[in-house]
Parts: sequence; C-alpha cells; structure tokens
Amino acid sequence: MTVSVDPENNETRALLALLDFSARRVLEIGCGDGRLTWRYADSAEHVMAIDPKADAITRARENLPKELKGRVEFHQFTFEDFSATGEPSSFDSIIFSWSF
Amino acid sequence: MVHALEEVQRLLKSDGCLIDIQPLIEAPLLKIYQGSSVIFVEPDPSYDYEEDLRQANAALTQVIQRGLFVIEERSEFDFLTHGSSAQELLAFWGKASADDNISEDPAEQRIKEVYARVEEIRQAAGEGAEVALHERARILRLNPNSRNEEPV
Repeated sequence: MTVSVDPENNETRALLALLDFSARRVLEIGCGDGRLTWRYADSAEHVMAIDPKADAITRARENLPKELKGRVEFHQFTFEDFSATGEPSSFDSIIFSWSF
Repeated sequence: MVHALEEVQRLLKSDGCLIDIQPLIEAPLLKIYQGSSVIFVEPDPSYDYEEDLRQANAALTQVIQRGLFVIEERSEFDFLTHGSSAQELLAFWGKASADDNISEDPAEQRIKEVYARVEEIRQAAGEGAEVALHERARILRLNPNSRNEEPV
C-alpha cells in the first residue's frame, strides 16, 4: 500500500512552532502507530505514548528506532486507565493527538 | 471528556502545557491531484464524527471557563493523506471495506460508491493522478491555570 500521511509535514511544523520539546517529559494520548511521535521524540527527554488499539501499539514498538529505545515507551492503555495510576505533576507536556 | 481534561491538568507540572490537535468541524475533502493541480473535489462521505468534535470542543470550552486551562497559542494547518488509489485510502482509514461487494449497510455502501467513482475519475485523469484526503486541523497550546484550585 502506498499511502502517505502528511508528507508535507504540516502537522510537525505546527507542533514544533508551538513547543520546544528539549528535555521535556511528554505524554502522548492517542499515539496510534507512532506516526507523530517519531517527529518530535528525538529532542524530548522521555516520551510515554499510549493508545487503546493493540495493533497500533504493536506497529509502533516494531518501528521504534534503536536510538530512541529507553527514551520512548509505547503502551496499550486508555487514558482513563493510565491516569488512574498516574502520579500528579509528572509531565512537562501532554499531547492530545486527534483523540477527541 | 471534561474528566479527561481534569486528569490532564492533574498529571501536568504547573509550568507544563497541553497540546491539543483536532480536526475542524467540517467534512474532509476527497481530492484528485494531477501534478500540483486539483482536478476534482468532493466531501468525504465517511465523515461521521461531527458530533464527537462538538462534544470535545464543548468540554474544552467548559474547562477553560472554569479556569483549569488558558489558551496560550492557536494555529491551523492542512493535513493530507495521499494514496495512489481511492481504495487504498479507504482501506487505510478503515471506514469501510475496500472490496467490490455490495454492503448491507446503506451508509457503507454509499461510501464505497463514492470512493469507486473517485477512483474512476482518477484513472481517467491519466498517469500520475493521485487521490488525497484533505483535512483542516487546529492545534492549541494550553497552560494549566494552577492558581485556580477551586474551579467555579
């Protein structure tokens, strides 16, 4: 399949114009297969990326670049389940990514 | 959704920020490109989340009015998903099966018919014609308003 999502990088440009991810601890809610995660994760201190879809999380883990291992974690969670055990004040940035 | 935003505020550091990326409340457009020219446009028949978007926006408005968050920045951008055929796009988004079988669901059947028509037009446009789903999205940067511990 030759589908290409946002090859113009419009979303990435808009995101990076709003936030410098340097040294930030990030929670991404609705990460899917990591499509957006890869585009900012290299500058973040740590990324916790969650999505309720098991197949998407599996793809994200399979595609995780070696250099990001240890800094990026993908977990199959709903936000409800994740936040139930989340410590207060633990993230510098939280991204709601197309997860209305 | 309001509860989710309350939880976001709890998980954020007081000097942190929430980035909220959502499509605008308007149907995405199916477009056929020949080179840089758009030669066909039609609203995406699979657009079925307008009410979800309205509810999400209402929840955001509510938490802002309660003082949990303050909008610091807002911008918009075009978000395109390109495919070499309409069926590829349809299968990618999983809105309906991309096979040629008649669907028992009238809504799914209409989606398949529109995508099939778009594909016919794309093929008639000649070599190099591409199809894309064009969404308009907005991105917000919101700061938690931690001084307001007792929302009103």
